[in-house]
Amino acid sequence: MFSTGFLKKHVYDLAAYAGLIATFILFLVFSGDKLTYNMTTVIQAGAVYAVIALGAVFVYSMGYMDVSVGQQVGVYAILIILITNRMGGTLAGVIISFLVILAIAMVCGAFNGAVAVWLKLPSIVTSLFLMFFFTGAQLLLMESTGTNSISIQATIKPADRNTYNLVLVAAIVIVTLAVTYFFRFSKLGKYTKGIGANEIATAQSGINTLKWKVVAYMAFGICVAIGTFIMLMRTGSAGKGTGSGYAMDIMICLILGGMPLSGGMKSKVSSALIGTFTYVLLSNDLATMGVSLNMINFVKAVIFIGIIFVTCRKKDNVLPR
Amino acid sequence: MKKVIKKFAAILLAGVMTVSMAACGSSESNKGTGGTGTQTENTTGTGTSDAAENTKSVEGKDCTIGVAFYQDTGLAVDATKAYLESMSDTLKVTFKYTVLTQTDEAANLTKIQELISSGVDGIICTMDLGMTSIIQECEAANVYIGGYLCDYNTSYTSAFDQVFKSKYFVGTASDGQNPDDVTIGTTMFNSLVEYNKRNTEAPITHVSMAVFPVWAFPSQQAGADQFVAAVEEYNKTAETPITVDPLDEETDVLAFSPMNTTYFSKHADTQAIISFAAGSAFVYPTMVQAGVDKDIKLFTTGFDGGEEANFGTAGTGTYQQNMVTAVESINYPLVLLLNKINGVTFSDQPEVAERISSSQIVINSDEDLAKFQKSVYYTKAATDAIYSPEDVLNMTAYANPSATYANLRDMLAALTIDDIK
Repeated sequence: MFSTGFLKKHVYDLAAYAGLIATFILFLVFSGDKLTYNMTTVIQAGAVYAVIALGAVFVYSMGYMDVSVGQQVGVYAILIILITNRMGGTLAGVIISFLVILAIAMVCGAFNGAVAVWLKLPSIVTSLFLMFFFTGAQLLLMESTGTNSISIQATIKPADRNTYNLVLVAAIVIVTLAVTYFFRFSKLGKYTKGIGANEIATAQSGINTLKWKVVAYMAFGICVAIGTFIMLMRTGSAGKGTGSGYAMDIMICLILGGMPLSGGMKSKVSSALIGTFTYVLLSNDLATMGVSLNMINFVKAVIFIGIIFVTCRKKDNVLPR
Repeated sequence: MKKVIKKFAAILLAGVMTVSMAACGSSESNKGTGGTGTQTENTTGTGTSDAAENTKSVEGKDCTIGVAFYQDTGLAVDATKAYLESMSDTLKVTFKYTVLTQTDEAANLTKIQELISSGVDGIICTMDLGMTSIIQECEAANVYIGGYLCDYNTSYTSAFDQVFKSKYFVGTASDGQNPDDVTIGTTMFNSLVEYNKRNTEAPITHVSMAVFPVWAFPSQQAGADQFVAAVEEYNKTAETPITVDPLDEETDVLAFSPMNTTYFSKHADTQAIISFAAGSAFVYPTMVQAGVDKDIKLFTTGFDGGEEANFGTAGTGTYQQNMVTAVESINYPLVLLLNKINGVTFSDQPEVAERISSSQIVINSDEDLAKFQKSVYYTKAATDAIYSPEDVLNMTAYANPSATYANLRDMLAALTIDDIK
């Protein structure tokens, strides 16, 4: 049915789509009478990952990564709560707090992109710095509250579950459309892919790679801010460990979706969505299939290493720079 | 082409492994769930009938209860699992386990959602983090939830209406340290006095303390205050007064990390550490490291296994008191959940869920230790439990229409060292 050439060319995409379809079929089969409930949990858990992963496409397409995203999410969530509560839990408080974290996220993005170039460091090093910085900030902020967990005093989550899920779906759709536009039809997407494919050649073509790296990281920052707000809608509270693990989860989502770790021209927006929902559905499937809940991470790890083996493209430069 | 085939083979192998592991899991979890299929029949939340109407004993329905622990393994967790599994057939309950985190609400919510997705009818939760969103999930899925080893103080003080007044929350059995019902300070003081009575020639006259942060365990700070007050009262008439070093924020508040060795320079004259925090894990290793375990005694909560080698007159004699919550205290939320799942309630059931302090097993002497070593907590053998599966079944309102909530509360009060068989 498929020629060898077609398989060779599309093996990564086929593997990603096959994974999503397989997990979705298992989801339908094993959910039983909990199908409706499970769909809502998949949307709720998937929305945060999807939005952040969509933003991460810009960074990963350059062959870079950001390991500070989890700690950023934690600090932003705490800041939203603290500012909103300080302003009496009003709508204005929510809006202002969101704008504050949006600004911080963009500044951090710019820092990540620019410092790496100026100091000629791999971007992972600057994101490591940010990770430690935000870890400390998260602890200090929580210490100042004198509690393990703080809750937002404003109502940011629709009371009706269906409305809440619709809001989440709408958020995913809007962010997807925006990211798709900028990634496929604007200079940002073209240049980030170019940087991932061959940075020197891109620079030699007269493109200011520093500028586009900064813009890419800032775009990611916007998505991190939106993702944080969506996460806060879900829990309504934040604490010392909020966001931990997100950096790794986002990387797993993108890789499961077929995003090449080395970035480049084969980077796709669809990787974020396919990977996110494969990952979330997989977690749900393993639970509904009766796998011991303590074994789920182990099974995920086995699948992940399998996918890594399949999607490895180069002998060198496999890991992000 | 070879490469492509290799890669597909890798996917296939990963898939086969996943499915085979899943199959193992499902065959286990299917045990005992074949019967009446109760998952949705009784989950409207309105099915509770008055106990007055419930005059005949009814056979319980097959159901599944998820238990969300604070850690995956350890003496207490392993013993609790063994105890629960021993009751599985009698109570017709399949138990599923997961582990929560102390710091990430979203992770806890995901764990609870996984439990619900896996088909549980009720959940016993040992952590009060993200509870308002967890309760919302339980309400959406018609799943009941109860607490164990946790005072739910954050929810109690800041989200009482959302959590304790929810009809899906059945209440919690805390580990003897409800902030509004603190006795741990008095218990520690009594243990110290008992030690001094046994050792009149070399009584302990100078002690220091250690606690976990107040945001995590407010009752420990209250317990420390209670201990100091008890000592001050004692000193009014005592021939040999006891000195208590005031709590030092820098060294005495353990942020869930081992005690710093500077503790011993801050408390140079201390003869005993009264550790309201779990001393076996967070204090004793530092004592050994600093080489003071032969000179300073330790009175502490928790028992992780291995303490017996240096308890009382054994070994270095460092441990002179250990205090634990009996694993049988899990029967409180378990019975309340089973009642809900089976659509019955106690005639004297309070309208709003409660948090009840469980009595403590206090090990003060070699004799106490010998007794404790025969408990299910230590042996992990369900036959050593204070309450057998039949006893627990008898506590439910559906199997025993004359069972009462007062009896269930009494059960929590009868889990002391004297109650061990």
